[in-house]
Amino acid sequence: MSATRAFDERRKNATAVVGLTIFLGTLAMLFAGLFFAYGVMRAQAPAWPPPGLPALPRGALAANTLVLVGASLALRRARRAENARAWAFGALSLGAAFLVAQALVWRSLVLAGGGPSSGIYGSVFFAISGLHALHVVGGVVALAAVAAPRAPDARRLALCARYWDFVLVVWLIFFFVACVR
Amino acid sequence: MSYGPPRDVSVDGRLVDGAFGYLTRATGVCFAIVVLVLAIVVLFHRSRGGARVPHYTHGDRPRHHVLTALTALAMFVGIDAVLAGRSMGHLQSRFWKWPDGDPKAVRVEVTARQWAWTFRLAGPDDRFGTRDDVVMVNELRVPVDRPIYLKLRSRDVIHSLYLPSFRTKTDAIPGSTTRLWFQAREPGRTELGCAQHCGVSHYKMRGELDVMPAADWEAWFWRAVDDARLHAGADASVQLDGWDWDQG
Amino acid sequence: MKLVSRIFSIDHKVIAKQFLFLGLAFLAVGGFMAMLIRWQLAHPGALFPVVGRALFGAAGGIISPAAYTSLFTMHGTIMIFFAVTPILIGAFGNFLIPLMIGARDMSFPRLNALSFWTMFASTAVLTASFFVPLGAPAAGWTAYATLSTAIGTPGLGQTLWVVAIYLNGASSIMGAVNYITTIVRERAPGMTWLRLPLTIWGLLMTAILNALFVPVLAAGMVLLFFDRVFGTQFFIAGSTIKGGGDPILYQHLFWLFGHPEVYILILPAWGIVGDLLSFFARKPAYGYRVTVGAFVAVTALSSLVYGHHMFVTGMSPLLGESFMVLTMIISVPAVLLYLNWLGTLWRGAMRLDTPMLYCLGLVFTFGVGGLTGLFLADITSDIYLHDTFFVVGHFHLIMAAAVLLAIFAGIHFWFPKMFGRRMSEPLGKLHFWLTIVSLNVVFGGQLVIGWAGMQRRLYDPSVYEFLRPLLALNRHISTAAFVLGASQLIFVLNFFWSLARGEKAEANPWGVGTLEWTVPSPPPEHNFDEIPVVVHGPHELGHPDVRTRLGKDWLAQNEAFGEEAEEAGAVPEVAS
Ligand code: HEA
Ligand code: HEA
Ligand code: CUA
Ligand SMILES: [Cu+2]
Repeated sequence: MSATRAFDERRKNATAVVGLTIFLGTLAMLFAGLFFAYGVMRAQAPAWPPPGLPALPRGALAANTLVLVGASLALRRARRAENARAWAFGALSLGAAFLVAQALVWRSLVLAGGGPSSGIYGSVFFAISGLHALHVVGGVVALAAVAAPRAPDARRLALCARYWDFVLVVWLIFFFVACVR
Repeated sequence: MSYGPPRDVSVDGRLVDGAFGYLTRATGVCFAIVVLVLAIVVLFHRSRGGARVPHYTHGDRPRHHVLTALTALAMFVGIDAVLAGRSMGHLQSRFWKWPDGDPKAVRVEVTARQWAWTFRLAGPDDRFGTRDDVVMVNELRVPVDRPIYLKLRSRDVIHSLYLPSFRTKTDAIPGSTTRLWFQAREPGRTELGCAQHCGVSHYKMRGELDVMPAADWEAWFWRAVDDARLHAGADASVQLDGWDWDQG
Repeated sequence: MKLVSRIFSIDHKVIAKQFLFLGLAFLAVGGFMAMLIRWQLAHPGALFPVVGRALFGAAGGIISPAAYTSLFTMHGTIMIFFAVTPILIGAFGNFLIPLMIGARDMSFPRLNALSFWTMFASTAVLTASFFVPLGAPAAGWTAYATLSTAIGTPGLGQTLWVVAIYLNGASSIMGAVNYITTIVRERAPGMTWLRLPLTIWGLLMTAILNALFVPVLAAGMVLLFFDRVFGTQFFIAGSTIKGGGDPILYQHLFWLFGHPEVYILILPAWGIVGDLLSFFARKPAYGYRVTVGAFVAVTALSSLVYGHHMFVTGMSPLLGESFMVLTMIISVPAVLLYLNWLGTLWRGAMRLDTPMLYCLGLVFTFGVGGLTGLFLADITSDIYLHDTFFVVGHFHLIMAAAVLLAIFAGIHFWFPKMFGRRMSEPLGKLHFWLTIVSLNVVFGGQLVIGWAGMQRRLYDPSVYEFLRPLLALNRHISTAAFVLGASQLIFVLNFFWSLARGEKAEANPWGVGTLEWTVPSPPPEHNFDEIPVVVHGPHELGHPDVRTRLGKDWLAQNEAFGEEAEEAGAVPEVAS
């Protein structure tokens, strides 16, 4: 009896992993489309970044990168640790902090005249970081739902962790193309 | 009443019609075979209330595969490969061989906007965007037997310059410059139009292409240049609207 | 409470029916729009009979240029995204995948329901886009920038169109994740990959393409939305050449999705005919493995040919020629599977029941449609044919003829399983004959008109002198189109009459072996009392030994026979 239940659990688990992997594949294609657009814009521009734009707040963006890395690491711990719930809430607050910091970055850029309608550079920056932030919001909501019960479901937590890793990877690519190269 | 494309008055249109003709014949043969097979099976390979015993096979023996593969290969070689070879040849030797260095070529700058075509010929100074430019709206006059070399831009949305009697077209795209060249075989008036949906009056974006005998065209051209100079005095904005030919 | 749980059901069979009804309703809307289009092309600017004043009151009952533009835009959009997609993928996919692979439901039943309700929301947004200030969407189903940006269509309608397409895509993606997971994880014991019905293969490949390329469309829609709402400039060229965004970027994103999309629509149809031809020819599908290989090959190559929609955008010669050659290469697997259809029919014992008639019609129209694709693949002839009615004829022969016939075949064939009643054969046959004849006149006529040079999306062709002689032919086409439209009422009648009064269906009325026919019609909520153990492929028909020993000519997929019966003993019992 309990053997079949364990078997069922494992089956369910594997099914959920397959589903999530495919879903992340579709998200990867979404961002691939956006990065493709970024590449085309950049390749066609006479100068990149176009002259006369406010400088990107690289420091803030780098700090934000660390926040997102922290969230992923916390979820990693949450999967193993005794006090999974605490770690999950840690990750949750880091995610929320990321969103707040991102909002501040956008605000400063808009105020400095580098908003989404300021030209092609603003267009790509805001579109990609905006859509990414939307996916972070999704991650926060999902994580909040998973971490809310007293004893969070380990399977769901593991799925969340995967999703957050994915969101982190997308951010790292974005950070690299926007701030480093 | 028979239907068909408008009479071809271009030098290269026959290549297009030729490709179309070959395709029609080749795919026609394939499809005739298909129809024959369908007719046979529908007429003769019927169950007739369970009386007929079907031939039991999964069609997955090597000989079956070889048969399918060979038929597909024959079709690929006979239609696709022939056409690809032929097309690439014609594209490189004609359609996409731009008359860049050709002194006989007549250069035209085309600006598309909702919903009109502006055609511009350089004046005697051979430069575009100067006061002696000859500018025509919805009408293009060109000489016969000379390559006509067009560069196209658009002001607003994507349009497509379409010359049915020359079997050709190309898009005019905001933000970039595209090219098209053709050569008329005989003088006469034909229609030009817009092929890309460009808004509510897309259907009205029609113009005329007037192919003139060489001497007539020369005479007209010089008169037009004089006209242009005369009018440019007051408001030259129309004249100056061109761009440097080599830039795009 | 009961009602609520019925409406928001998570049973795949209920969701399938919801998709079916939604799709059929929009098929009717899209079909009616086609009638309006054909009216305008036959009688430019004439008062539309009977309902003209009610529909186009402001214009005095005639179809104005603006209305025409919105009509073809919405006709194309509705037919592709809101009629064919929900029926072919939503309804057939949901209904058939669990039943055909021997599962009790989808892997993620709630995601499944969410997929339907997202589609429903997107239809609401699309419908709203009709009735907003500054007019309905009008940039064509392809919504090329910059016409689709604020430059060409400033109204709210176009923005809502973008949102609707985005939601529709989200629905498709949810469905795709579910379909793939279900097919990978929930197959009954013994249901190996090469024992899957071709229908499932088609749906699987479609789901994979949806999962991979709908997100690319979504990316395009996001950027278009940003351009329209936040003033970004992805698709809007700057004042200097190359000094801003690029309208062509939109076309790359759109067709990177758009070409796979046409295979998304044809693959389930290919799967359905692949199975049905075998079922009704009473012999196994010819070259099953080759057909599966062809599906996979088309899927793998589908994104590499998209440039053939952009031959006249001034792309570099090398790129253009590569796309031409790749397009020709991708037609090879199509030819292979086509030949396998003919092989299946050859020396069969064909029963001409209505579903089979539809399938034969499909074979015919897909042949013409597919072969005309080669005319468009060749750059030289495409330069002339691009954006003419020849293209319109090509894709209608495939999408509006072949795919639509697959839909009719599928509905007729699985109706007994879905609703427990059979559809009327005489009405079905009448519908088939009227449809197939008028269909070919309409779409064949479009090919001729296009070859004669008529552009697509033209409100009034008589503006052009060289198109005036075509008016007579356009009128004939329209007459045929009205016959076609009217014939569909027979289908509607048959559908609803059979729903209420049709002959009660037994479990396996067609005498075929795929798993859905091993359970009662309609199936119980959990589908299978006992999960079946599959012992052979889906097309075991007409085996001589089976005939002599069992007195019937088919085997169910879980029905062991001869050697298989011995092997079956070795299949382990399943838990639960
Ligand atoms: C389901 C839909 C569907 C399918 C399956 C296809 C299949 C194909 N399409 Fe089509 N196509 C569209 C839907 C589809 N298309 C749409 C919607 C558009 C226009 C979009 C728009 O602009 O609005 C379009 C436009 C389009 C274009 C762009 C035209 C233009 O705008 O200028 C091109 C160009 O190459 C093309 C080519 C092809 C080819 C080569 C195939 C091939 O896959 C076909 C392969 C099939 C065969 C080759 C035939 C089968 C074989 C036989 C009959 C064999 C018999 C042989 C023997 C007996 C030997 N299509
Ligand atoms: C699958 C897709 C599909 C389908 C089925 C159709 C079906 C039809 N189409 Fe469509 N068409 C497109 C996709 C489709 N079309 C696309 C993508 C475009 C391009 C748009 C653009 O340019 O942007 C287009 C454009 C287009 C044009 C060109 C307009 C122009 O460029 O100016 C024309 C003109 O003749 C036309 C005609 C028709 C006709 C007569 C039908 C007939 O087959 C219609 C017959 C009627 C029906 C099929 C209705 C059936 C209804 C039922 C069966 C209801 C059942 C209901 C219940 C049981 C409740 N279509
Ligand atoms: Cu310009 Cu259509
Ligand atoms: Cu295509």
